[in-house]
Amino acid sequence: MIRRLVLDVLKPHSPSVIELSEALSKLEGVEAVNIIIYEIDQHVENAKIVIGGNRIDFEGVKKKLEEMGAAIHSIDQVAAGERIIEEVGTPQDRSARV
Amino acid sequence: MKFLEKIRDYIRISGVAPIGRRYFIMNAFDGATTILGIVIGAHVAEITNQFWVIWSGLGATIAMGLSGFAGAYMTEEAERTKKLNSLEKSMLKKLGKSVVGKASRFAPLWAAIIYGASPAIAAIACLTPFFLSPVGVFSINFAFQLSIAIALSVMFMLGVFLGKVSGRSILFHGVKMLLVGLILTLVFLALKAII
Repeated sequence: MIRRLVLDVLKPHSPSVIELSEALSKLEGVEAVNIIIYEIDQHVENAKIVIGGNRIDFEGVKKKLEEMGAAIHSIDQVAAGERIIEEVGTPQDRSARV
Repeated sequence: MKFLEKIRDYIRISGVAPIGRRYFIMNAFDGATTILGIVIGAHVAEITNQFWVIWSGLGATIAMGLSGFAGAYMTEEAERTKKLNSLEKSMLKKLGKSVVGKASRFAPLWAAIIYGASPAIAAIACLTPFFLSPVGVFSINFAFQLSIAIALSVMFMLGVFLGKVSGRSILFHGVKMLLVGLILTLVFLALKAII
């Protein structure tokens, strides 16, 4: 069962993030939604959408986003299972950064 | 209830509300002015049969309504299609089935209904005394006076509405609109005096 979903989404200016977050939060299994716009173009905007819940239905989320005129660019993070496990830092991450 | 909510969503997403407001004022004013012209013309011509006024008024009303509906629908539809195509290019996907596409298809219809109905509503309001005149509620002369008064009141109220929308003096805007009707009345009376 999916508990957290982080998506990179391209969407038109309208419907707004307020309408989009409200629509997503009404989906079954979704408990919380966070949307941040990180780039704005003339007609569209890029948004990072974080969805939290106890049983997120990815297909339902995808369908709702398409219904609202948005398109998923990438799935950036998924947390599934009995509980959420956070990303763990490793020495390799440090050397990769150097 | 769900249907009304959907309409509200489409209006918000398509951003058609200000256009609708503009269309409403513009065309209701057109409707009132046209009927005022017909009524004053008939009065000056000393027409004694109210059905002449009713039929010429209804003819103008239907023509205004139909031309408004068709004109607004076609114009708005072309604009909305262009806008949606441009958005689809930016999104790199078709949006026809999304709420954006649906709102884009709804907007021309909404604009057309307002464009078509607003002159008709104003015109019917101005013609009401003539509908009541054949059943003996008013004499034809009183119907003329009442109809002119209603047309001028409609104009004033539209001005008041404009003043309210713009957040400026409602009285100033009301009087400004009313002046157009008064000018029309004076021009007719002057014409009658000359001819």
